[in-house]
Amino acid sequence: MSEDMGVIVRTNARVLVPFIGIFGAYVVMHGHLTPGGGFQGGATIAGAGILFLVAFGIKAAKEKINKNLYSALEGVGGLIFLGAAMLGLSVAFFYNTLWHNGPLFNGKPGTLLSAGFLPIMNLGVGLKVFTGLVSAVFMLSLFRRWKE
Amino acid sequence: MKRALAFLSLLVIFAGLLVALSPKYGIKFGFGGEDWLKYRYTDDYYIKHGIEEVGGTNIVTDIVFDYRGYDTLGEATVLFTAIAGAVALLRPWRREENE
Repeated sequence: MSEDMGVIVRTNARVLVPFIGIFGAYVVMHGHLTPGGGFQGGATIAGAGILFLVAFGIKAAKEKINKNLYSALEGVGGLIFLGAAMLGLSVAFFYNTLWHNGPLFNGKPGTLLSAGFLPIMNLGVGLKVFTGLVSAVFMLSLFRRWKE
Repeated sequence: MKRALAFLSLLVIFAGLLVALSPKYGIKFGFGGEDWLKYRYTDDYYIKHGIEEVGGTNIVTDIVFDYRGYDTLGEATVLFTAIAGAVALLRPWRREENE
Protein backbone atom coordinates (compact mmCIF):
# COMPACT_ATOMS: atom_id res chain seq x y z
CA MET A 1 0.00 0.00 0.00
CA SER A 2 1.44 3.32 -1.01
CA GLU A 3 1.76 6.28 1.28
CA ASP A 4 -0.21 8.93 -0.57
CA MET A 5 -3.89 8.79 -1.50
CA GLY A 6 -3.70 8.36 -5.27
CA VAL A 7 -3.48 10.69 -8.22
CA ILE A 8 -6.98 12.20 -7.96
CA VAL A 9 -6.62 13.30 -4.37
CA ARG A 10 -3.07 14.49 -4.99
CA THR A 11 -4.08 16.65 -7.95
CA ASN A 12 -7.02 18.15 -6.07
CA ALA A 13 -4.86 18.85 -3.04
CA ARG A 14 -2.21 20.49 -5.22
CA VAL A 15 -4.90 22.90 -6.48
CA LEU A 16 -6.68 23.44 -3.17
CA VAL A 17 -3.83 23.87 -0.70
CA PRO A 18 -2.73 27.34 -1.95
CA PHE A 19 -6.29 28.64 -1.98
CA ILE A 20 -6.99 27.44 1.55
CA GLY A 21 -3.73 29.01 2.67
CA ILE A 22 -4.56 32.33 1.00
CA PHE A 23 -8.01 32.35 2.58
CA GLY A 24 -6.55 31.63 6.00
CA ALA A 25 -3.99 34.41 5.57
CA TYR A 26 -6.81 36.78 4.61
CA VAL A 27 -8.76 35.84 7.73
CA VAL A 28 -5.70 36.44 9.91
CA MET A 29 -4.77 39.75 8.26
CA HIS A 30 -8.26 41.22 8.42
CA GLY A 31 -8.89 39.89 11.91
CA HIS A 32 -9.57 43.37 13.32
CA LEU A 33 -11.98 44.32 10.51
CA THR A 34 -14.04 41.29 9.52
CA PRO A 35 -15.28 38.22 11.38
CA GLY A 36 -12.50 35.85 12.22
CA GLY A 37 -9.12 36.39 13.75
CA GLY A 38 -5.91 34.71 14.74
CA PHE A 39 -7.32 31.45 16.04
CA GLN A 40 -9.73 30.89 13.18
CA GLY A 41 -7.33 31.85 10.40
CA GLY A 42 -4.50 29.86 11.93
CA ALA A 43 -6.72 26.80 12.13
CA THR A 44 -7.66 27.32 8.46
CA ILE A 45 -4.02 27.45 7.35
CA ALA A 46 -3.34 24.41 9.53
CA GLY A 47 -6.14 22.69 7.62
CA ALA A 48 -4.20 23.33 4.41
CA GLY A 49 -1.07 21.83 5.96
CA ILE A 50 -2.95 18.78 7.22
CA LEU A 51 -4.52 18.32 3.78
CA PHE A 52 -1.03 18.34 2.29
CA LEU A 53 0.13 15.80 4.87
CA VAL A 54 -2.83 13.49 4.31
CA ALA A 55 -2.82 13.68 0.52
CA PHE A 56 0.91 13.36 -0.13
CA GLY A 57 1.95 11.05 2.66
CA ILE A 58 4.49 11.34 5.42
CA LYS A 59 7.57 10.99 3.19
CA ALA A 60 6.77 14.05 1.08
CA ALA A 61 5.71 15.99 4.16
CA LYS A 62 8.98 15.19 5.92
CA GLU A 63 10.89 17.05 3.22
CA LYS A 64 8.70 20.15 3.49
CA ILE A 65 7.96 20.32 7.22
CA ASN A 66 10.82 20.82 9.64
CA LYS A 67 9.30 19.81 12.94
CA ASN A 68 11.91 21.51 15.12
CA LEU A 69 11.36 24.77 13.26
CA TYR A 70 7.60 24.48 13.67
CA SER A 71 7.88 23.74 17.37
CA ALA A 72 10.14 26.77 17.78
CA LEU A 73 7.82 29.03 15.76
CA GLU A 74 4.95 28.16 18.08
CA GLY A 75 6.87 29.60 21.00
CA VAL A 76 7.79 32.62 18.89
CA GLY A 77 4.10 33.27 18.18
CA GLY A 78 3.30 33.16 21.87
CA LEU A 79 6.17 35.54 22.59
CA ILE A 80 4.92 37.97 19.92
CA PHE A 81 1.53 37.92 21.64
CA LEU A 82 3.06 38.61 25.04
CA GLY A 83 5.38 41.31 23.69
CA ALA A 84 2.51 43.13 21.99
CA ALA A 85 0.60 42.97 25.24
CA MET A 86 3.55 44.48 27.11
CA LEU A 87 3.87 47.46 24.73
CA GLY A 88 1.48 49.54 26.79
CA LEU A 89 2.88 48.50 30.13
CA SER A 90 3.26 52.13 31.24
CA VAL A 91 -0.53 52.33 31.60
CA ALA A 92 -1.68 48.74 31.98
CA PHE A 93 -1.09 45.26 30.67
CA PHE A 94 -3.06 44.85 27.41
CA TYR A 95 -3.33 48.61 26.94
CA ASN A 96 -3.50 49.52 23.25
CA THR A 97 -0.87 52.26 23.26
CA LEU A 98 -0.09 51.90 19.56
CA TRP A 99 -3.64 52.90 18.74
CA HIS A 100 -3.86 55.89 21.05
CA ASN A 101 -0.45 57.55 20.56
CA GLY A 102 1.72 55.16 18.60
CA PRO A 103 3.83 55.79 15.54
CA LEU A 104 2.29 53.06 13.40
CA PHE A 105 -0.95 51.11 13.04
CA ASN A 106 -3.04 54.13 13.98
CA GLY A 107 -4.94 54.90 10.80
CA LYS A 108 -8.64 55.49 10.50
CA PRO A 109 -10.84 52.74 11.94
CA GLY A 110 -11.75 50.28 9.23
CA THR A 111 -8.50 50.49 7.29
CA LEU A 112 -5.96 47.70 7.26
CA LEU A 113 -3.22 49.59 9.13
CA SER A 114 -5.31 50.56 12.13
CA ALA A 115 -6.27 49.19 15.52
CA GLY A 116 -2.87 49.32 17.18
CA PHE A 117 -1.57 45.98 18.39
CA LEU A 118 -4.54 43.96 17.18
CA PRO A 119 -2.96 43.06 13.78
CA ILE A 120 0.33 42.15 15.47
CA MET A 121 -1.48 39.98 17.99
CA ASN A 122 -3.54 38.39 15.23
CA LEU A 123 -0.39 37.52 13.30
CA GLY A 124 1.27 36.11 16.42
CA VAL A 125 -1.69 34.01 17.44
CA GLY A 126 -2.23 32.85 13.86
CA LEU A 127 1.40 31.75 13.61
CA LYS A 128 1.12 29.99 16.96
CA VAL A 129 -2.08 28.12 16.14
CA PHE A 130 -0.90 27.17 12.63
CA THR A 131 2.46 25.77 13.67
CA GLY A 132 1.06 24.16 16.81
CA LEU A 133 -1.71 22.25 15.06
CA VAL A 134 0.51 21.23 12.13
CA SER A 135 3.27 20.00 14.44
CA ALA A 136 0.76 18.07 16.58
CA VAL A 137 -0.72 16.22 13.58
CA PHE A 138 2.75 15.74 12.10
CA MET A 139 3.95 14.17 15.33
CA LEU A 140 0.88 11.92 15.39
CA SER A 141 1.68 10.58 11.95
CA LEU A 142 5.44 10.49 12.42
CA PHE A 143 5.67 8.54 15.66
CA ARG A 144 2.87 6.07 15.17
CA ARG A 145 3.06 2.89 17.16
CA TRP A 146 1.17 0.48 14.94
CA LYS A 147 2.66 -1.74 12.24
CA GLU A 148 2.05 -1.29 8.54
CA MET B 1 -41.38 0.29 13.55
CA LYS B 2 -39.00 1.00 16.38
CA ARG B 3 -36.99 3.31 14.18
CA ALA B 4 -40.12 5.17 13.11
CA LEU B 5 -41.14 5.59 16.74
CA ALA B 6 -37.76 6.95 17.63
CA PHE B 7 -37.89 9.38 14.73
CA LEU B 8 -41.39 10.50 15.72
CA SER B 9 -40.37 11.06 19.32
CA LEU B 10 -37.36 13.10 18.17
CA LEU B 11 -39.69 15.16 16.02
CA VAL B 12 -42.04 15.77 18.96
CA ILE B 13 -39.12 16.82 21.19
CA PHE B 14 -37.84 19.16 18.48
CA ALA B 15 -41.30 20.73 18.01
CA GLY B 16 -41.63 21.20 21.77
CA LEU B 17 -38.24 22.92 21.89
CA LEU B 18 -39.24 25.17 19.02
CA VAL B 19 -42.42 26.20 20.83
CA ALA B 20 -40.64 26.67 24.15
CA LEU B 21 -37.86 28.80 22.70
CA SER B 22 -39.88 31.02 20.38
CA PRO B 23 -39.60 34.63 21.47
CA LYS B 24 -43.30 35.48 21.18
CA TYR B 25 -44.95 33.09 23.64
CA GLY B 26 -42.22 30.76 24.91
CA ILE B 27 -39.99 30.87 27.95
CA LYS B 28 -38.45 34.27 28.51
CA PHE B 29 -34.76 34.41 29.34
CA GLY B 30 -33.81 37.60 31.10
CA PHE B 31 -35.27 40.91 30.07
CA GLY B 32 -36.34 42.25 26.73
CA GLY B 33 -36.47 45.70 25.27
CA GLU B 34 -34.84 48.52 27.18
CA ASP B 35 -34.71 46.66 30.49
CA TRP B 36 -31.55 44.76 29.57
CA LEU B 37 -29.51 47.98 29.57
CA LYS B 38 -29.94 48.19 33.33
CA TYR B 39 -28.36 44.81 34.02
CA ARG B 40 -26.20 44.11 30.97
CA TYR B 41 -24.57 47.46 30.55
CA THR B 42 -21.18 45.95 29.66
CA ASP B 43 -22.50 44.76 26.29
CA ASP B 44 -23.70 48.27 25.55
CA TYR B 45 -20.37 49.71 26.71
CA TYR B 46 -18.34 47.49 24.39
CA ILE B 47 -20.57 48.24 21.42
CA LYS B 48 -20.45 52.00 22.01
CA HIS B 49 -16.82 52.51 23.06
CA GLY B 50 -15.07 49.62 21.32
CA ILE B 51 -13.96 51.48 18.21
CA GLU B 52 -12.62 54.58 19.92
CA GLU B 53 -10.87 52.74 22.75
CA VAL B 54 -9.35 49.78 20.94
CA GLY B 55 -9.70 50.66 17.29
CA GLY B 56 -10.88 47.48 15.62
CA THR B 57 -14.21 47.42 13.86
CA ASN B 58 -14.52 43.75 14.77
CA ILE B 59 -15.90 44.05 18.30
CA VAL B 60 -15.15 40.40 19.06
CA THR B 61 -11.45 40.96 18.40
CA ASP B 62 -11.56 44.10 20.55
CA ILE B 63 -12.99 42.13 23.45
CA VAL B 64 -10.81 39.05 23.00
CA PHE B 65 -7.49 40.86 22.63
CA ASP B 66 -7.97 43.96 24.75
CA TYR B 67 -10.78 43.89 27.29
CA ARG B 68 -10.41 40.18 27.99
CA GLY B 69 -6.74 39.84 27.19
CA TYR B 70 -5.91 37.66 30.16
CA ASP B 71 -8.45 35.11 29.03
CA THR B 72 -6.79 34.90 25.61
CA LEU B 73 -3.40 34.60 27.30
CA GLY B 74 -4.67 31.61 29.26
CA GLU B 75 -6.15 30.14 26.13
CA ALA B 76 -2.82 30.42 24.33
CA THR B 77 -1.12 28.80 27.33
CA VAL B 78 -3.60 25.93 27.21
CA LEU B 79 -2.88 25.41 23.51
CA PHE B 80 0.87 25.56 24.12
CA THR B 81 0.62 23.04 26.96
CA ALA B 82 -1.51 20.69 24.88
CA ILE B 83 0.93 20.75 21.96
CA ALA B 84 3.93 20.34 24.27
CA GLY B 85 2.27 17.41 26.01
CA ALA B 86 1.36 15.75 22.72
CA VAL B 87 4.88 16.16 21.35
CA ALA B 88 6.47 14.94 24.57
CA LEU B 89 4.21 11.92 24.88
CA LEU B 90 4.30 10.84 21.24
CA ARG B 91 8.02 10.85 20.62
CA PRO B 92 9.62 7.37 20.85
CA TRP B 93 11.15 7.63 24.28
CA ARG B 94 11.62 3.91 24.87
CA ARG B 95 12.28 1.45 22.08
CA GLU B 96 10.58 -1.90 22.23
CA GLU B 97 12.87 -4.93 22.44
CA ASN B 98 12.09 -6.47 19.06
CA GLU B 99 12.54 -3.37 16.93
